[in-house]
Amino acid sequence: MKVSYFETGRYVPAADLPREWPVPAGACDPETGAEAYRGMVERVRLVEELGFDWVSLSEHHYSPRILTPSPAVSAAWLAASVRSIRIALLGPIVPTSNPIRVAEELAMLDTMAPGRIVIGLLRGTTNEYLSYDLNPAEARERTDEGMELILKARSEPQPFGWQGRYFQYRTVSVWPSPQTPPAPTYILGTSAEAGAFAARHHLGLGVSYGSFELMGQATAYYRQQCAQYGWTPGPDDIIYRANMILGESDAAADAALARRDKTAPFPLNAGLAAALIEADTSRNIAGEKRPANVGNVLPISFCGGPDRVIEQIRRCREVIGAGVLDISLQDPGTGGLDAMLDALDLFGRTVLPRIRDI
Amino acid sequence: MTANAAFRESSVEADGFRIRVMQAGDGPVLVHLHGAGGLHLTPGHDLLSRQHRVITLEMPGFGASPANTRTATMAELAGTMAEAVGSLGIDRFNLMGSSFGGKVALWLALQHPDRVQALVLEAPAAIRPEGSRPPSGSALEIARRLYAHPERLAALELPDPATQAKTQALVGRLRGPDRDPALEARLRDLTVPTLVLFGTLDHVIPPEMGRYYKALMPNCHLVFVYDAGHLISAERPEAFAEVTADFLARHEAFVINRRPTLIYP
Repeated sequence: MKVSYFETGRYVPAADLPREWPVPAGACDPETGAEAYRGMVERVRLVEELGFDWVSLSEHHYSPRILTPSPAVSAAWLAASVRSIRIALLGPIVPTSNPIRVAEELAMLDTMAPGRIVIGLLRGTTNEYLSYDLNPAEARERTDEGMELILKARSEPQPFGWQGRYFQYRTVSVWPSPQTPPAPTYILGTSAEAGAFAARHHLGLGVSYGSFELMGQATAYYRQQCAQYGWTPGPDDIIYRANMILGESDAAADAALARRDKTAPFPLNAGLAAALIEADTSRNIAGEKRPANVGNVLPISFCGGPDRVIEQIRRCREVIGAGVLDISLQDPGTGGLDAMLDALDLFGRTVLPRIRDI
Repeated sequence: MTANAAFRESSVEADGFRIRVMQAGDGPVLVHLHGAGGLHLTPGHDLLSRQHRVITLEMPGFGASPANTRTATMAELAGTMAEAVGSLGIDRFNLMGSSFGGKVALWLALQHPDRVQALVLEAPAAIRPEGSRPPSGSALEIARRLYAHPERLAALELPDPATQAKTQALVGRLRGPDRDPALEARLRDLTVPTLVLFGTLDHVIPPEMGRYYKALMPNCHLVFVYDAGHLISAERPEAFAEVTADFLARHEAFVINRRPTLIYP
């Protein structure tokens, strides 16, 4: 099992910070922001020392919960500061992005840090569409076409044009060219469309936060699709991102779980959340229709002392087939940094050495 | 169709005043309270009347109405206008106020929060920088304050000097302090869905004033209209009417974009 640490640019919010998304920009304390990014480097150096394989980054907007609106900028910041750990951009939100810009940023990163970049492409959760004014009804199709265009821009050696449904370019020729071998690339999502796209392009699949059983359905669909395209994905082709509460003992972890805030930090106004769910009707897990998740608190997939967590990781490997575990040891936007650093240290000492053979 | 041709004039009695009414369109009612320059229909009114019954009311003392020496405060003026809407047989309605009329609209919403379904404030004058002055002077001087691009106007409208003197006296008496702590305190409890619009080139009320409404009002959305001056509905009518109509239809969900971007099927 490979292990990835999900770094969110920990901004420690003041107690009186407004809690509704979008959080007023004027409420951001610049020094706390600067500290969040300094801490980002320190934490990634720590997990590198602890033996984590990857650090993962994401794209979120307009709140301090996850302070990384640009995964490319985050990755460049880290790539210059750490030596060996792989930096996984999980990832640019494709339907709200200029696909050529994404391809160029990935190419720059891949060339600046050869062999150290991992790419994830995703549709993103529905609430993210508000940030860049994406019509939710078009998200699926813009994602599919955008991903196809990013891959084409990363692989086509001759200048080309693109006559798409949602994108049109008369000339594209991305410099620098991607490294050889190309950076490992994943499609992130549980939908049938994500699984089929990844399978068709011989790419990995990343799933997140759902129960082992549900995520197992998504990865089973993906493997089935891969078989149709004549290949078999290995464990490294499947990422599972999840929350973990790790304690010195099961009782300590269970107590932390009981104390956990049951509401998501910086939620949307309830009426708006309901309207978003209504507007985004194409969500599914392996083809089975699901409502969009808009701002619900994310579940805890792993909870316990080291032994129990290791058993859970073993089960995750069996049910989901994931060979890359991408974990948060504390809910983004909550809790103290010291507790999280302690949990990382505990994970590095007591869990990481014992899950390599899973 | 000639601009504003669909608007029909009538009048209504309220609070001892005879109030001129211009209205057009069918659909949900949108009552409009004009700015300090009086009732002027714009292309924005035409566009909004495609989806709404747009009712603009001339406040007592403006236009050709007799001088209004009786109304003592903005709150009182708001009470009169609420009564006028009631006299038209309308209980609940959307309310739009422009500049001076924005402050009247806020008072009206505070007095009748259950009657106002949603509020649109076009460059509202309820919160102003210290020492701000309404436009005055020659037609050109006034146009330079009101428009981002006065050079694009076909002709400068010369206000009738008598009307101008009459309304300036009224506005001067009613406009109140630049910052009114009593009003601002009450805005904190006004939950009516509110859209505040400012042109990025407003030379009457700095668009930065928009942030105060957003910070004070619990259900407020602030939108800047690019390259528009103080009279947004006249200068960028399509942009103005689209965001206004979308907000009136969907309230806070108007932040969810529904515009198609498909280039080729």
